[in-house]
Amino acid sequence: TWRNYKENKNSRPAPLKGIKVLEVATLLLGPGGPGFLAKLGAEVIKCEMPPMGDTLRSLVPFGFFFREHGCGLTHPNLSKYWIGLDLHKPEGQKVFRDLAVKADIIEENMRPGVLEKWNVGYRQIKEINPRIIYISKNGYGQWGRYADENRPSNDGGSQAASGFAWMSSFPGKPPLKSRLYTADAYGGLMGEIPVLAALHYREKTGKGQYIEMSQTESLMRTMSWVWPYQGITGEPAMPSGNRDQCVCPADTFRCVDDTFVAIAAPAPEEFKGLCTAMGKPELAEDPRFKDHLVRLQEENAVAILGIISDWVRTMTFDHVMSLAEEHGFAASEIRSARDIAEDPHFRERDYITEIDDPLDGPMINYDFPVMMSKTPPRVNWSVRPVGFDNEYIMAQVLGKNKQEIKQLYECGALGKWADVKGRRPATTWDGKTGLILSREPGYTDGGRGE
Amino acid sequence: MQRQPLTEWVRERDDPKIANTRPEALDDLTILDLSYNNYGGCYCTSLLSELGAQVIRIEPPEGDFLRTCTPYGLLHKNEGLVYLSEGRNKFHVTLNLKDPKGREMLKSLAAQADVLVETYHPGVMDDWGIGYEQLKEINPRLIFASISPWGQFGSRSKNKMPDYENIAQARGSIQYATGEMLPEGKTYDECPWAVPTKAGPWISWASAGTFMAAGILSALYYRDRTGEGQALDVATAEAYANFDDWGVLIYQEHEYIVERFGSLDQGAWIYCFAPTKDGAVFIGGLRLEMWQAFADMVGKWDDWGAADFEHLGDFMGKEAQLKWAPLVFAETRKYTTDELVAMSLKYGKEGRLAPITPVIAPVCNPMETMTDANWLDRGMFTPVDDPVYGPVVVVQSQYKMTETPPRVKWVCRPVGYDNDFIYLKYLSLGPTRLTKLKEAGVV
Repeated sequence: TWRNYKENKNSRPAPLKGIKVLEVATLLLGPGGPGFLAKLGAEVIKCEMPPMGDTLRSLVPFGFFFREHGCGLTHPNLSKYWIGLDLHKPEGQKVFRDLAVKADIIEENMRPGVLEKWNVGYRQIKEINPRIIYISKNGYGQWGRYADENRPSNDGGSQAASGFAWMSSFPGKPPLKSRLYTADAYGGLMGEIPVLAALHYREKTGKGQYIEMSQTESLMRTMSWVWPYQGITGEPAMPSGNRDQCVCPADTFRCVDDTFVAIAAPAPEEFKGLCTAMGKPELAEDPRFKDHLVRLQEENAVAILGIISDWVRTMTFDHVMSLAEEHGFAASEIRSARDIAEDPHFRERDYITEIDDPLDGPMINYDFPVMMSKTPPRVNWSVRPVGFDNEYIMAQVLGKNKQEIKQLYECGALGKWADVKGRRPATTWDGKTGLILSREPGYTDGGRGE
Repeated sequence: MQRQPLTEWVRERDDPKIANTRPEALDDLTILDLSYNNYGGCYCTSLLSELGAQVIRIEPPEGDFLRTCTPYGLLHKNEGLVYLSEGRNKFHVTLNLKDPKGREMLKSLAAQADVLVETYHPGVMDDWGIGYEQLKEINPRLIFASISPWGQFGSRSKNKMPDYENIAQARGSIQYATGEMLPEGKTYDECPWAVPTKAGPWISWASAGTFMAAGILSALYYRDRTGEGQALDVATAEAYANFDDWGVLIYQEHEYIVERFGSLDQGAWIYCFAPTKDGAVFIGGLRLEMWQAFADMVGKWDDWGAADFEHLGDFMGKEAQLKWAPLVFAETRKYTTDELVAMSLKYGKEGRLAPITPVIAPVCNPMETMTDANWLDRGMFTPVDDPVYGPVVVVQSQYKMTETPPRVKWVCRPVGYDNDFIYLKYLSLGPTRLTKLKEAGVV
């Protein structure tokens, strides 16, 4: 089934071939979902407010640029088409509505009501395209007290308000924020579940619909046992650092050389294997530890984790790993971004995939982490400056001629990048490479003569 | 436009209270869930079952080990709490796949199913004669979804090491770069909390399950048009790692490895957790004006020279953040969490830079979350009145839909609870024949 998967990736159709998506979104939560759909083969048009575009362009971790754009921009935005469209202007709204007539999906992450103010809200779009599937993603949802208060929100706020961060800290220490924008990243993905389900429903019935997702609620959903635990005991669930309260033993330990190793061995054979590896096979029969449910009890869990911790402190990392292989329990190093980037296994699978981008040059990035035997997802190109694909989209999708496009620039409905690093093309750009339709000077910049 | 306010219009159509009066998006699907000791598989089929798919959980006769994974060994009516939440909406049958007769029955079920989800190590299903290549002969429309530690192909796919949440988190790059920094001059023995720290919730399993659900639905769309099923492959080691937004990019360009930075943020300022009189808040401002607004809000406009702040970049570097963070924390410690949240809302209305205001959110413990009127009003924690387990609070679906809203109908079932119904429905096995199969150890 999987032979030559990497080699044959482009010899098969992508699963969402033919699906058209419009995106009005900034930062990570909003663009993330359409980003996944683009990898699945949908044509995604990303509408940015010219000339500055997506706020995400300002996200430059510790000042590191990637080929003259912010490092943060790439991940949720691969393989999209980029237009600079001012939705405050009636002419811009008209362009959007013309695009919406032909679209299957619209995704947005503005505060509630903003798109309706621009005449491109769900209620307005469904009048011209009743098949549209329209999703709004934000922090607190479209209704309820927090939505009424118009509370601003973002990833960190959702990690905080959901209880997710609380549960990810060491007991007695201040709550810890993830290095990851977990609420954005997971929310970006999660929203596509109802979107894709709605697509199936639409295939059956012809009906589109409106979907809303709160990224705070989306994180709550991942916290499974926490809620019944609180409901049953009446007590708040408490954090436990790297220890998993539901699986025992499962924790991160420190080796003799101060490297860290994650170990898990809850199932009977695995636990026996670990005890044998530790030279203490009798522990597997100890009444405190023999049965998983008994072993999980606080006192017993602390006892067995203490024993394992003391043992690992005397061991090298490599030794622990070889014993894990030999005795059938689970162990892993704590891998860094370098380990991921250089992982040969991920390359074999083309999960870490090589992109040959006309603007950014050769680079690696992540493909969609579902390999599909008949319809492989893929990454085609990298990110673009603000408004880079205006001419192509206007001509190809809306059939507009030079003159009409020029008028849209003149009234400010269409726009291109500001002359700011991360918004404009790289300084090495020749003024042509990567443009899809028009490569004549003086045309591509909308007659601004730059 | 003289219409109803948008919030009302939406609520009238997507409030979970009316979900049961609406159609379901996936109620034409039958899904076999063979996942074992794998929360990713369970979570995946939960998401699809909330949308109406009929999910048949196939457990070995002794039940899934996952049922014993529960905090501190706590059981509710003999059920572990993880499973209590994630068995939702599913039918539970037992089937012994190690028995050839059991595998024949599985084939009969697969012939009638749309999707099969399995989490055995690569090759196990093939050896049993029920792998994708074998089942597609019986049912070419079948979407065969496998979740495994390293995937179905590639050199490490042969590795037989078991898969767990903390292992998968370690294999992504997120745990490595999350956690408090070791204070200068201190050792790990003195600060055992200043280490690479994983997320508490099972986000890695959840990611694998959610990606697979997205894969299944994409494959379903393709099948809707072509009639063709296919095989899908998710590696848990890849799923959570996928959320890394720039670690790999920075590394390839600058050979810089993202390290731990506590509750500050390497990509943004001001964007951190900060201590308060009675807990902690999140402060978020991705734009210079929001940082200025924060300074103003805590009365430091002049002291800090906020009017002269020019570039956010001046504050984003590591040194700058480590210099400014203690100054910020000294201010936030003067207020309670609630006071700070109220101050930011007020600033957004009346402040010098209004409507610009820093995002301030309370860092809640999950009991505060669960009793928050906003989430209760939105139906997130509406108890499920389960015929077996009684009223149980589980978290409801995380999105709302106007045409085909998701719903939770029941929480879970004891092992083999639905054998009678499912085997009668799909294999016409009545009580007499089923008893024989039970005695023979097949179901």
